[in-house]
Amino acid sequence: MSTTFLPCGDYHQNYAQEHAWWQTKLIKGKMILLFLFLFVFIPGVADSYWISVCNMVGYTILGALGVQLLIGYCGQLTLGHGAFIAVGAYVSTMLILEFPWPQFMLDWGIAYPVSVIIAGFAAGIWSVLFGLPSARVKGFYLILTTMAAQFITVDFLLTQYVSQIGGRGQAFSLPVGTIKIGPWVIDSDIKVYYIMIILVIFFCIVMSNLIRSRVGRAWVAIRDNDISAEVMGINVVKYKLLAFFVAGFIAGITGAFWISNLAAISPEHFPWFLSLFLVGVILIGGVSSIHGTIFGAIFMVVVMELLQLAVMPLADTYPKLLMDFLFIKEAAFGLAICLFIMFEPNGLAYRWWQIKNYFNLWPFSY
Amino acid sequence: MKSKILLFLMSLALIAGIFSIYACGEKPEEKEKAKVVAEVIKVGSLNDMTGATSDVGKDYALGIAEAIHYINETGGINGKQIKLFQFDYGYRIPEALTKYNLFKQLKCVAILGWGTGDTEALAPTVARDKMPYVSASYSGHLCDTAKTPYNLFFATDYSTQVRGLITAWFDKKWAKHPENGQRKPRIAACYMFASAFSSASIKAYKDQAEILGFEVGLDQDVSLFAIDTKSQILALKEFKPDVVLHTNTVMSVAATLRDAYALKLGADHIIKNWGYDENLPKLAGPAAEGAIGCAPWAFFGLDVPLMDKVVEYAKKYNPGIPLENRTIHTVQAWASALGLAEALKRADKAGDLSGESILKNGFETMKNFEIGLGIAPVTFLSTDHRSQSEAKIYEWKDGKFNLFAEVDLKERWPDKWANEWLGW
Repeated sequence: MSTTFLPCGDYHQNYAQEHAWWQTKLIKGKMILLFLFLFVFIPGVADSYWISVCNMVGYTILGALGVQLLIGYCGQLTLGHGAFIAVGAYVSTMLILEFPWPQFMLDWGIAYPVSVIIAGFAAGIWSVLFGLPSARVKGFYLILTTMAAQFITVDFLLTQYVSQIGGRGQAFSLPVGTIKIGPWVIDSDIKVYYIMIILVIFFCIVMSNLIRSRVGRAWVAIRDNDISAEVMGINVVKYKLLAFFVAGFIAGITGAFWISNLAAISPEHFPWFLSLFLVGVILIGGVSSIHGTIFGAIFMVVVMELLQLAVMPLADTYPKLLMDFLFIKEAAFGLAICLFIMFEPNGLAYRWWQIKNYFNLWPFSY
Repeated sequence: MKSKILLFLMSLALIAGIFSIYACGEKPEEKEKAKVVAEVIKVGSLNDMTGATSDVGKDYALGIAEAIHYINETGGINGKQIKLFQFDYGYRIPEALTKYNLFKQLKCVAILGWGTGDTEALAPTVARDKMPYVSASYSGHLCDTAKTPYNLFFATDYSTQVRGLITAWFDKKWAKHPENGQRKPRIAACYMFASAFSSASIKAYKDQAEILGFEVGLDQDVSLFAIDTKSQILALKEFKPDVVLHTNTVMSVAATLRDAYALKLGADHIIKNWGYDENLPKLAGPAAEGAIGCAPWAFFGLDVPLMDKVVEYAKKYNPGIPLENRTIHTVQAWASALGLAEALKRADKAGDLSGESILKNGFETMKNFEIGLGIAPVTFLSTDHRSQSEAKIYEWKDGKFNLFAEVDLKERWPDKWANEWLGW
């Protein structure tokens, strides 16, 4: 069997081969190139603006991964995911600002990483609380219960109580030097980029592995038909809540990552629109696909930025074009969702799969 | 399938083309060209035309563009023209962040910003990048140079506005109240709890109420989008406030005033600047009668220095908008733009248009600087960015805004002003 190209037909001799991440040298080569692109090329070539755009893409990917898990893999509709991101952001911020860390932990830059992990667990547990109704309700009713997470968490608890800690009133700012990992003070877009890319790769790997594990198969079974899944012996409630926990955990980490990007936080960072936006991301990228999450985030952030840059040269002739760009962007978002649902319901991930297959099979693509 | 592949490759080429133009920096010949046309100073502007504060943001955005036209047509920055990049960000913080980074990439030397949420969120980044940021948020939190050294604004800060409003009401209205001396005056506040803008001055409000001996009622959560506030007014009726503080924008304040009037709350109303403009009487009708508000600038069209230019440029560049629909927010925008232009001129004269120079040689050299437009003289210190200590208070009565009081907090509470209130 060639180790460079996959042969036509299935020549796998054991499960390990079949489930191997990188099955041929060509794929390994492509992955090495991808890593070089992400860790060397982008930081080397892109200026701070494009790095910040990449950071927004990463934030969107991390936020949407949890939504993908819940909606795409477990069939649990959610419109309150922004609340769990907010929980992560606030837990991390409050721990950094208010917790009496031993001096050595601050000096060694351990406080922020520890706060990130705690933020993940806190958001995961909080997500489970709002996932409890999923034991009884599904579909539109579940959407409403998850929406409650937004109103209870952001509009009520964070705004009315958490934001008042320290008499600050609303926004918290993190002084320079407080966001530190080891000796590394996170004070530039490029450093945020490296954190982002590591988090995105890590959680994509975790998600991919989870999906092809026993847990993932249980989630997919619940998504496809929860009654059948139960008949097969799957503890539906347990796995649904586990899905909420994992999605919430990733959201919490996302929120804690977000504070490294801005070093400030207020409830206005987490409007309900954020949850809706994340659902839009997976619809455009492709439901039930981790690639889809990535493509959706790239589409929603990078393509919109490119569109903006494309109209900028016209701004001298039509000065209001820049001012009206948000209208164009909003319209493009709405139109993209409509068009994808109508013409490409499987999202960009399916298109990517088709293109990849075309080239893999070329010149015998029949 | 082939056509689809072709379409995909064409899209990829288009994206790559745009990316290479914008991301990969200037080519050597472009750098030469840039030197030739270096007589342009780039300024970014973030505005809200579609978001939670668009009711007041549209007029402000128009004012910014008109003021920049005026500056360019009257000599620019020592002969250099300002190129304005003006974006609507819909009052969304992530959008503000990406736009801010775009401004940096475009090599803007300063930014005219908008809301409190995004300005406060960007403050650490702005300080790190040494980017002068003139906001339309007048949050007192932005005045402490130890925390936010590159944030500035040409207005009375929200906390000073609110302290001034409460003090003016206490001096002028409560002094004449029949129950004065028999009980404490009662005050409550209506604002959107979740909004950093609306709640920026609440700590100062409670402190000032305590200083003057008020009984403070429970705050009422009124959304910036509110159209019905009856439940909040009914809750207030139980407390029977003598005066209600409003810190939302005008649409929300008008809805609250209407409901207070309809439900016969019987309290006076004191309003922060963004809720107090020419649209308030139009929207609230008779409910606005007697409303007291803070306006650090002259209302649109009043006879003050430079107002003729504001009106002229409004007519010239936005002829489709009737002048009677223009508001004080246009005047505010002019104050911000003219203030920034003055700082740029001073920094340019010093030969350095870096962010640090614009701050040190520009803004922080302004001592009792007169902009015109009815705004009090402006002073920025390297330790204190509260540009003025005076709150100008008006009352809407008999179809016009009448000057009600001028409260100078620095004069009245010099110790607290100097030692306690900075950064509230």
